[in-house]
Amino acid sequence: MLRDGRTSPGSWWRIGAVIVVAAIVAWAFMHVAVREWRRTRSPDARTELVVMHWSGDGGQEEDQIVDASLRAFEDANPGIRVRRVNPGDAGSFYTKLMTMLAAGEPPDVFYVGNERVPSFADIGLIRPLEPFLEADRAANDPTAIDLADFYPATVDAFRFDGTASGKGALYGIPKDFTTVGFYLNLDLFERAGVPVPGNDWTWDEFIAAARAIGRLPDATGSEFVTWAAMLRAYLMTEGVDVKGASFDDLTIEDPRAVAALERLRAWRHDEDNTLTSGKSKIATGSSVFLSGKVGMAGPFGRWVVPSYRKIPKPGQPGGFRWDFHPLPRGTTDANIVLTVSWSIAQRSKHPDEAWKLVKWMTDDRSQRDLAKLGLAIPTRKAAAMGPEFSDPAQEPANDAGYLQAAERAQVVEWPVNPQFESLFASSMDAALKTGTIGVREAIDTFLRDWRSESASPLAKADLSPMPWRGLAIAGATLVITAAAWLVVWSRRGPASTARRREERAGWLLASPWIIGFLAFMAFPVAMSLVLSLARWKGVSTLDQAEFAGLANYERLLTDDARLRTSLRVTLYYALIAVPGGQMMALGAALLMNLKVRGIALWRAAWYLPSVLAGVGVSVLWRWVFDADGGLMNRMLGAAIGAMDASLAWFGAGPTGLVPPEWFEADAAVWGAPAFAIMSFWFMGGTMMVYLAGLQQVPVDLYEAASIDGAGPLRRFVSVTLPMLSPVILFNVIMAVIGSFQVFTQAFVMTGGDPNNLTRFYVLYLYNQAFEFYEMGYASAMAWVLLAIVLVLTVVLMRTSARFVHHEGAPR
Amino acid sequence: MAEVILQSVGKVYPGGVRAVQGVDLHVRHGEFIVLVGPSGCGKSTTLRMVAGLEEISEGRITIGGRVVNDIAPSDRDIAMVFQNYALYPHMTVGRNMSFGLERRRRHGSLLRALLSPAYAAERRAETARIQERVDGAADLLGLQPLLHRMPRELSGGQRQRVAVGRAIVRDPAVFLFDEPLSNLDAKLRGEMRTELRILHRRLGATMMYVTHDQEEAMGLADRIVVMKDGIVQQVGSPTELYERPVNRFVAGFIGTPTMNIVEGDVERDGGVLALRWAGGRITLPAGIAVTGTRASIGIRPDTLAPVADGPFRGTVQSIEFLGDRADVLVASSGVRLNARLPTERARGLREGDTIALGMPGVAHVFDGDGRRAG
Repeated sequence: MLRDGRTSPGSWWRIGAVIVVAAIVAWAFMHVAVREWRRTRSPDARTELVVMHWSGDGGQEEDQIVDASLRAFEDANPGIRVRRVNPGDAGSFYTKLMTMLAAGEPPDVFYVGNERVPSFADIGLIRPLEPFLEADRAANDPTAIDLADFYPATVDAFRFDGTASGKGALYGIPKDFTTVGFYLNLDLFERAGVPVPGNDWTWDEFIAAARAIGRLPDATGSEFVTWAAMLRAYLMTEGVDVKGASFDDLTIEDPRAVAALERLRAWRHDEDNTLTSGKSKIATGSSVFLSGKVGMAGPFGRWVVPSYRKIPKPGQPGGFRWDFHPLPRGTTDANIVLTVSWSIAQRSKHPDEAWKLVKWMTDDRSQRDLAKLGLAIPTRKAAAMGPEFSDPAQEPANDAGYLQAAERAQVVEWPVNPQFESLFASSMDAALKTGTIGVREAIDTFLRDWRSESASPLAKADLSPMPWRGLAIAGATLVITAAAWLVVWSRRGPASTARRREERAGWLLASPWIIGFLAFMAFPVAMSLVLSLARWKGVSTLDQAEFAGLANYERLLTDDARLRTSLRVTLYYALIAVPGGQMMALGAALLMNLKVRGIALWRAAWYLPSVLAGVGVSVLWRWVFDADGGLMNRMLGAAIGAMDASLAWFGAGPTGLVPPEWFEADAAVWGAPAFAIMSFWFMGGTMMVYLAGLQQVPVDLYEAASIDGAGPLRRFVSVTLPMLSPVILFNVIMAVIGSFQVFTQAFVMTGGDPNNLTRFYVLYLYNQAFEFYEMGYASAMAWVLLAIVLVLTVVLMRTSARFVHHEGAPR
Repeated sequence: MAEVILQSVGKVYPGGVRAVQGVDLHVRHGEFIVLVGPSGCGKSTTLRMVAGLEEISEGRITIGGRVVNDIAPSDRDIAMVFQNYALYPHMTVGRNMSFGLERRRRHGSLLRALLSPAYAAERRAETARIQERVDGAADLLGLQPLLHRMPRELSGGQRQRVAVGRAIVRDPAVFLFDEPLSNLDAKLRGEMRTELRILHRRLGATMMYVTHDQEEAMGLADRIVVMKDGIVQQVGSPTELYERPVNRFVAGFIGTPTMNIVEGDVERDGGVLALRWAGGRITLPAGIAVTGTRASIGIRPDTLAPVADGPFRGTVQSIEFLGDRADVLVASSGVRLNARLPTERARGLREGDTIALGMPGVAHVFDGDGRRAG
């Protein structure tokens, strides 16, 4: 920096930049430090309650309403201060909640969806509320909650008796709920000449309408999502659920259930244009209905209403009339409630204040405020009847339809083990969505997997607690021994003072990295190895972990069908993505190595996709692979059309090819390849490595080869490939490792659907860890993944020795 | 007959840079011709145009009576040895040498050999012929023990030899060498030079050789082509170039140590011409015609000798003993001269001594443009 005792202008810049960066870093930390300092030092003697909620479909409006309501609570209760946390949508909410729970610092009051009640209550995360109700009643508290004011099903949804939800102790006060049904495009009904049915319509009327609308040009009868809860609602209309008395006694084999599922499968797969359930993920939920080309969409709850209200009015471009109808009836008239409560953490230090807040947030006024969003129905009957919810000025007109359904709606009961839903959904997907297997087979798969899940040694309740004390002592001993050995080792042999000093300086300068590595890499890695021997729900603190020995490994190596599927899917992907990607990247690098005008621009353009962010790009590619309107299938369709046309010109018949439904019916063949095709888009990094390799090849060799009579192809085979072989090996190893780490794309684009056919290994690992809370199992999976990748890498290194030529003389 | 004829050959790079222009050269069959010049003089480009590695922008190149301007390198019947040897690093020495022949096989298809026994026999015979030629070349260069080694296991000299062997195997009409010895150390370079000359005699082939080292050129060439700035300065045998350089550049480039140049004004005194410079005056030999008022004389250091009343009087600045000779640098007024003296004549000298140098031998006279006068 200093030359001839003077400072050059360049170094002033550098010094300036360093100061600016340092100031920014200091400022960032200062902010946090000051905030915490203020919090601890402030004379505010009020009790602090941490409140966590989400605002998914409700967006900013919901956030503002909750915020305003909490501020009003603060004003009404001067002794209490509320800290609000809103991580975003429900997914982020549960992730955040889990980390807070696992850290032993849960929020005091938070949302809980009724499907989570069993798993949360089972490990004692949420507090039973009856004692508060009793106390209020005893004290004649005017704010006391009378559960009779609520729709009974919404209350029962938060009961848990130790094995399943629906009855037992109360773990939350429902804040709002929804029943489910279909949203109808009234214009299409009119065009098809189908009379709009009443609220007590039947499945026969439903399917007749769907068929009639499906016969209209460019229209489809109905979207019918097959989510686990919706399927169970559908079965309930035929008087049967999947569970009988308990989750050990499943009724899915009941002839009524089988018949109903067979009927649904036939509607979807044996008829054209009647049902379109999710040609892909895009075609679920609101968006497919918004197109105006689908007669009905459902079963959905009230949550789609805010986005449907943005449908233009009839007469405007893209506008049409629409309304809601509750679930049609089969042999019985049934519906379900999906609801969210305000619950209190078991570990909350201020349960009484928390209870006050729960009452505040679920009282009539709060519910009416929230009802204005149109997002959900107030759980208090009086509030639900009020004008805030049943707003005649706003669509849908049939607000009464939701409420009528509420009177006969049931709670969908869920077991403690959250895998139930996942197993049920994926096996039903295979039968109903992709249609790859029959209903009977899907039921058998589901029953087999669920029974294996229940019979697993991991499902046993009596495991001894983790010997944390012993492990901590062993770990500490190990660290101290290693450190001592390091010190001794570094002192071995005679060394000059200058050398010692230099060594000390070296350690000192490297220490930020070493400390960071130990704390943030080595420790978690070691911890995951320990956890792989444990049964630990990620939502509880570590002292709840139980010692499971090798049970996790045993189960995942011998008895996990989904793991085998995920491995198969991952390998299938790797088999296409690795060689394909290398060929594309090498081909691109050869092009980029040409000396033509503007080559730098081309290189940048080809590299660009590699710097784009994962989630956004994945959303983009979801559209590309959409079976109906996606770019990929439109191009394929055009190509097939051109092929057919030229064949017809020669008098031959059409090819009979159709573009695949990537993530739908053809997912078994085309699901993983779709991700491989997508991965080719990110070959920029690999391409750059190849390009650098190509530019290292001495020009002499090509010249010598061309004098020797080698043509371009022979030069590529005899010079380029051998000279690139170390680069190829490196890239292949990186690609193999990368192919086992596919996550973001699959998580965003398909979530593993359908039928686990795109559930890549790491995605399944994530599901285990963050959806089923099986941290021990997930840790074991991570170590198995490491072993797989390690073995593959070693095999590649060993077998490649013969083909890989390393430059340079042995020195 | 493997003659190489270059007619008005020029190379213009995109962007208009002229690397070579107007090269006329007739390389006779069996001749060893060396292109020499400072870096950037166009000698390599010229060679590469002969090889076909550079497109010929202007003029015509004929090899063995065939115009090769539009003929691929592999079809020009040439072989080339590169400065960095350009051995295929992933092939054994034997395969490196046979690679070119393998590419030229007429019965190379393994598939056809499997289908037709006659073809298979032809193929076997061809393989044997290739092996024979590789062995022949290996024997010639003493490479037999190295045939199964990889290039990375060889020393620089051995690699050089393999590169030459690879060229020999092909039995080309013309050998092209692009600075083949410049990556070797001085001792090895000397040895390889001798070997190349012997090889040339044994093969009797036409060879074109590029180097920047005039000593190497002098040692190897039948004829030398001196180039500068893309233009041929002089073509001639080593002795011709040494004794009658056509201009100051060639005079200065050829010969070690470098020729002394003394520049001055031309004085005409009746029919006698003389050169005057700041420190003295010297009469030019009779019969030399100089146009213009400026001229220079070139004096080879080994033609200078201490002469009592020599025209160059000055101080000894440094003495370098080389064994039987010594290089003495004398600073005379206006010029510095390097004299190569027999050691016994330099023995009495000390740095700082005053000495007068004269030249009983021949001086070269150049006119103001640097062209040889007379």
